[in-house]
Amino acid sequence: MKELEKVRNIGISAHIDSGKTTLTERILFYTNRIHAIHDVKGKDGVGAKMDSMELERERGITIQSAATNCSWGEYNVNIIDTPGHVDFTIEVERSLRVLDGAILVLCSVGGVQSQSITVDRQMSRYKVPRIAFINKCDRTGANPERVVSQLREKLNHNAVMLQIPIGLETELAGVVDLVTMKAMYFDGDNGEDVRIEEIPANLAADAAKKREIMLDAVSMYSDELMEAMLEGSPTVEQIREAVRLGTLSLKLTPVLVGSAYKNKAIQPLLDAVGYYLPNPVQSENVALNLLDNEAEVKLSSDSNDPLVALAFKLEDGRYGQLTYVRTYQGKLAKGDTIVNSRTGRKVKVGRLVRMHSDEMEDIDSAASGDIVALFGIDCASGDTFTAPEISVSMTSMYVPAPVISLAVVPRNHKAQDNMSKALNRFSKEDPTFRVHADPETNETIISGMGELHLEVYLERMRREYAAEVDAGKPQVAYRETITRRAEFNYTHKKQTGGSGQYGRVAGFIEPLEEGEYEFVNKVTGGSIPSEFIGSIDKGFKQCLRKGPLAGFPINGVRVTINDGASHSVDSSDNAFQQAGIGAFRDGFGKAAPVLLEPIMKVVVEGPTEFQGNIMGGLNQRRGIIIGTFEEGAFTVVEAEVPLADMFGYSTVLRSGTQGKAEFTMEFASYRQLPKSLMDEVIKEAGERKKTSVA
Amino acid sequence: MAPQAATLIYLRDRSVEMLKKDLILKNPLRAWEPDTGHNTATPRMGLVVAPRGSGKTAVLVQFALDSVLRGNRVIHVSIGQSLEKTKEWYEDLFQELSRSYKLEHVGEVHSEIAAARLIMTFNTGSFSAAKLEERLTDLIEQNIFHPQSLVIDGFDFANADAAQVQGLRDLVQARKLHTWFSAVRRPEDKQVSALGVPAPCDRFEGLFDSILLINTDGHGISLTTLKSDVAASKDHPPIRLDPTTFLVNQG
Repeated sequence: MKELEKVRNIGISAHIDSGKTTLTERILFYTNRIHAIHDVKGKDGVGAKMDSMELERERGITIQSAATNCSWGEYNVNIIDTPGHVDFTIEVERSLRVLDGAILVLCSVGGVQSQSITVDRQMSRYKVPRIAFINKCDRTGANPERVVSQLREKLNHNAVMLQIPIGLETELAGVVDLVTMKAMYFDGDNGEDVRIEEIPANLAADAAKKREIMLDAVSMYSDELMEAMLEGSPTVEQIREAVRLGTLSLKLTPVLVGSAYKNKAIQPLLDAVGYYLPNPVQSENVALNLLDNEAEVKLSSDSNDPLVALAFKLEDGRYGQLTYVRTYQGKLAKGDTIVNSRTGRKVKVGRLVRMHSDEMEDIDSAASGDIVALFGIDCASGDTFTAPEISVSMTSMYVPAPVISLAVVPRNHKAQDNMSKALNRFSKEDPTFRVHADPETNETIISGMGELHLEVYLERMRREYAAEVDAGKPQVAYRETITRRAEFNYTHKKQTGGSGQYGRVAGFIEPLEEGEYEFVNKVTGGSIPSEFIGSIDKGFKQCLRKGPLAGFPINGVRVTINDGASHSVDSSDNAFQQAGIGAFRDGFGKAAPVLLEPIMKVVVEGPTEFQGNIMGGLNQRRGIIIGTFEEGAFTVVEAEVPLADMFGYSTVLRSGTQGKAEFTMEFASYRQLPKSLMDEVIKEAGERKKTSVA
Repeated sequence: MAPQAATLIYLRDRSVEMLKKDLILKNPLRAWEPDTGHNTATPRMGLVVAPRGSGKTAVLVQFALDSVLRGNRVIHVSIGQSLEKTKEWYEDLFQELSRSYKLEHVGEVHSEIAAARLIMTFNTGSFSAAKLEERLTDLIEQNIFHPQSLVIDGFDFANADAAQVQGLRDLVQARKLHTWFSAVRRPEDKQVSALGVPAPCDRFEGLFDSILLINTDGHGISLTTLKSDVAASKDHPPIRLDPTTFLVNQG
């Protein structure tokens, strides 16, 4: 078992085209985890190792995060491949919790692009220390210095170069390490032989100057280095310690350069991961105490404390369901009994493995801070596992309700089977993705957090599960509610041969500020026999699923019953359920019912010159602009916009800002739909019903 | 819909209106600006001077709310404070109000306010009249937001010169904006102007139409008039404010 201090849980985060996958591939090669190098869209059809999903292979992008383990010198490095796309917020955030540090990969030509900004902001939010790697220094137009100044200006990083390239573009030969003041070259077929030499004469002056700048910036974080600098020349260890302290405090971003594709300077990057990024003990992690109203508790990282682990990723591989977990404290060992804090269910740890993309290694136990995978554990992504004696959760139990849905229809019988397999898997992996069957139309409805969110799952269904499906138009998940109090008094009576049905229910319905539904029984004097009170409640609840306005779920109503009547022979459970349904419809209709629509918090960031454009666009979409703020040369606009008006926004935004602006959105609240639009939605719902009946 | 429905006012609508009226009446600004519906057409520039941490932002937020409730649109310029933080000021004040008034329809009034208010934040040191003008022009000319009022919180008077403040005055005059600034008084600097305006704003007293001073003492918070363009209010005695809602204390 390796010491915890030598463990690094890192992410590699970057803009789509900055070469993240190639870099990961090279890292795995140099750490002897793989024995040949493949490129992302390789001619050999094998593809780089981390993108294990077909779809990713095809598009050359990484959607799902896989974890892989490798060793570099005395360090044990777990690499979590973080998705770069902003729409997969849940997944990005989940993987950010799991890692303690990150490599921010930037393209030496493209520099800091808007997507890097979003990912970087997420990392700042989760306090993830970073080192930057300026990749593709072999490309035409490579300009690492410009990227460094962009890091400073656009991302507000105190970026400091620890290396300078030897030559650029096709001339790229190696790097000068400003800490050791040596030149490094990378020989052999795959750059595996590191040759260390003196700095070439033509770079000596520049290197000395850059070293001064670096030492000046870095000495801020270590008094020892500061003193050593006054006394003469500081040691390599002193400099590294200072860089490490600055990086850990998030106040310094060390910058390295190289080219993954040309096999240049990957080894020193791995060294830097060991030197500068934190080990699991150094990163602070908190959990929510489920016995104390989700109050935060600090986790110890001590292997001797009770276990707390997060299942951050599920994979359905050829070996069955695999659950990736990270332990935050305590030990996870084969044969242990652990508890899923969401379901309260106890499970026994069977097989425990360390993952390397598609291959695995069986282990007996994992120390605190490690990342491993479990077999045969039934759970959802984001579940917390603990030792039986404690009850904490790594994530809030709150999962936002989906705001958008669409119908999926399988094209044939085979697709039907595959589709249900796929949907079952997806809803387990992602709590914000849900599936249900519409009883009226018999259609399968999938719902999620945004247009793209659902699109990706449709795509995955096709590719991974070979399920040919047709998708309907996306629908906004409206809700129905009432805006004032109304009385009801309803008699259900049926005399059609045999035993009759009779029940009368009276009371009132009123808006409920928070929550879905409340039932209050104020019937006195036995005007309704107590055994039928539950039947009435049941009848009410049946109405909640499909509101009378347009068939959307009802939210925010409190129903009080205070009177009624029964018949000694004709009253029954069923009769009072029916009476309840009638009473609810009666009251609801009189209580000024309205539709509520999901409102999204939309954050758009783009160059300041497009600010007017951006705000204008949001304004046209019934958006309320909350405010603007500056971030370097960018302006960020925050607005609240109805989801119904956000369809197709990404295309419009891109074309209106020359592709330089980006947006994120998340559910904010439900708000009353304006009358004119409400009538439209109701009309549409009526037409849908007609066609589905016909 | 039956024609008589138009004249029907539901109780709940009435209570929202009453709540707004009440909030308008209790706003400390009533001492200087009688409620005559919308702001008067003359653009005016006011200043609230306060010791650090005495609630100058809350007073500005209360002024902004007042303007919104009276049917105006307001831009809240926040220098050196984040958007999130500025929003929180409104949230907190609003929650406080709904608690003290046991409001029922908070949600609606709240979203009404959000729609009539726009927050613009600038980093310390990057704010200038020219920049503000550019932003305002964007908003107005592209028909995104037409403000009648402006509150500017966190302007660095200590490092400003008369030309800069004059520049802002010209801008709000040209755009016909009723504007309130906040300023922090420096406790170490005892200098005051002829009207009693403390440093660093003593140099700018001529550029403001009205100047208020926030005082904190053992009894809470009060507002004193140092300068006013409304004749009647010049000698207005200090107004005591409720320290949580920043409305006029009824006690």
